[in-house]
Amino acid sequence: MAGVMQKFVLASMIMWLAPMAILYGFNHHIIPGSGQLSSSSQTLLSGFLAVISVNLVIVLYIIMAMKEPANRELQPDPAFLAEAKASINQSAATTSNHDAQSRDKVE
Amino acid sequence: MAGSSSWSRALMLISPYTFASIGIAISIGVSVLGAAWGIYITGSSLIGAAIKAPRITSKNLISVIFCEAVAIYGVIVAIILQTKLESVPESQIYAPESLRAGYAIFASGIIVGFANLFCGLCVGIIGSSCALSDAQNSTLFVKILVIEIFGSALGLFGVIVGIIMSSQATWPAKAA
Repeated sequence: MAGVMQKFVLASMIMWLAPMAILYGFNHHIIPGSGQLSSSSQTLLSGFLAVISVNLVIVLYIIMAMKEPANRELQPDPAFLAEAKASINQSAATTSNHDAQSRDKVE
Repeated sequence: MAGSSSWSRALMLISPYTFASIGIAISIGVSVLGAAWGIYITGSSLIGAAIKAPRITSKNLISVIFCEAVAIYGVIVAIILQTKLESVPESQIYAPESLRAGYAIFASGIIVGFANLFCGLCVGIIGSSCALSDAQNSTLFVKILVIEIFGSALGLFGVIVGIIMSSQATWPAKAA
């Protein structure tokens, strides 16, 4: 469970930081070559790169999540399970008792 | 006096800054509304279904990630739009070029906001069903994930059109 949460939090943080970093880089001309672009093509390029980066993080997260083996360590609480099984056995025993009694009475 | 007070004149005298600011607010506000709606629908089903089948939590967080991506699209477009909001000198504020820029930012915000609203809602409802059916039968998960991917493409369409719309929002250059 802890591993699942770690991966989720990491993916969420990267999903936020990557597009912000790309937009910041383009707007403040940190990325080489962004100074020569016209305003409209700078908007287009920065916007599309940011959206593509978000989708890339999603795809990577899906791959990571599908690769996880189905772990058997997480089961319903064993005490709860034992009580449930006991109650089923008990009700089966009482119904068989009732069947036996009703057969006697009919006779 | 014809035309001195009419609806068209009133609408045209609304400052383009008003339209642009409302567009920016709608793009982030309504996107987050859609994302939050989707996350709470998926989250409540996921937590409930995980009582009896705790194995589903790791894979079904993908639905929550899809909904969060919807909110991020809204934030990206809001940041892009606010860099497009420039000051123009007072003489130019009602020039056709200014009005065009104000309306373009307004339209871009509405496009992105409402596309993300319904995308978030769609992904949230599908994600909730995905969690419930995965708890019963784990072979169904991948099939429902395909439907979810189609659903999240709706938000993508809105973002693409919104970005293209906003790229042409140019204000008139400052008059000498």
